[in-house]
Amino acid sequence: MPYFEKIEYRPVPVRELLLEMKNLSELMIDLAYSAALFNDKELAEDVLALENRVDLLSYLLEMEIMLAARDPEEAESLAGVSTVASAADKISDAAADIAAIVTQKIGIHPIVGEIFEKVEERLTRVRVATQSILLGKSIGELELAARMGVDVIAIRRNKEWIIDPKENEKIQAGDILIARGTSTGLEEFKELCEGKRRRLED
Amino acid sequence: MSKRRQKFEKIVEMFVELKNTSELMMDLAYSSLLMNSKELAEEVEKLEEYVDRLHTDFELLVLSSGFKREEARGFLGLIRLGVVTEKIADAAAEIAEVVLREIAPHPVLKLTIEEAEETVTYVTVSENSPLVNKTLREAKVPEETGMWILAIRRGDKGIRPKPQTRIQAGDILIASGYAEGEEDLKKLASP
Repeated sequence: MPYFEKIEYRPVPVRELLLEMKNLSELMIDLAYSAALFNDKELAEDVLALENRVDLLSYLLEMEIMLAARDPEEAESLAGVSTVASAADKISDAAADIAAIVTQKIGIHPIVGEIFEKVEERLTRVRVATQSILLGKSIGELELAARMGVDVIAIRRNKEWIIDPKENEKIQAGDILIARGTSTGLEEFKELCEGKRRRLED
Repeated sequence: MSKRRQKFEKIVEMFVELKNTSELMMDLAYSSLLMNSKELAEEVEKLEEYVDRLHTDFELLVLSSGFKREEARGFLGLIRLGVVTEKIADAAAEIAEVVLREIAPHPVLKLTIEEAEETVTYVTVSENSPLVNKTLREAKVPEETGMWILAIRRGDKGIRPKPQTRIQAGDILIASGYAEGEEDLKKLASP
């Protein structure tokens, strides 16, 4: 039996709850695909932990919505909010299903991972070389999203995953980074990590 | 290249199409909410039917690939990945349904979409924009802004972008990407 945390109502703005659900569910999908294709058990377990968080948010959001409707018109438009929240919840469930492929040791044929890496353009995994110019720079100061449309979603360091790293997290040699973004941006980013590109363009 | 390898490549190719389409659908579904646009919502519903068909073809291909007994687990993993993309497509279709049922999107939805890490946005191309008369291939919008063009709205027509699509003044570009790219896109489209 999994452990279910007791849920009690506490006031949190609907916007905050929905925003976190949307961000987390999308992050989870990308992490889950990475976990499945690289057969990474720890990363898969982190995805499952995030799923619990989204479930909790989903309950709190439903409670807020029930308290918020004051007339039929508001009830109508809040029903829409509830539908969108449940869609985000479904996406996080879908991510957990992917993670379960790894945790239940079903796995995916290794050739698939290899081919997938070649055709998939929005997700990449790269090791930071000792000659990379990114060493010692924080995620925030690199402004990757603004510069090249890239977002680092996880860092593997000392056998542990740092999920959704903070702005002040500094990149170290040997880090394995999972990043998502546009294909051209990811290519540039990969070269920077591998030390093949020596300049950050604006 | 061996026959077997070719079969694998075909399976992966189909899976990537399923994955990309389901993600495009989520972006378009959020765009339809943001703009309260039935037309975009209908596009999502159409894509849902496409994903359903593609998903069936994908499952048939995996099942007919003649895998060995000891590989069964790996192939089960593939089947499950396919199911997940279909779930995501369903979730997107449910979001689009809110718009199609003419429920006016609650203001909180717009705020959430705008504030999210990955956002969708729309901009109108003005006459003096460097984008006017360029094809999407020439315009290099993702390279310049980090934003992807999901759809173009011209008059009351919706266009799914192709590399050779030519941008015109007055076009509304619907794009997704990180919030940081939004300003760049706005500057490019209406300087």
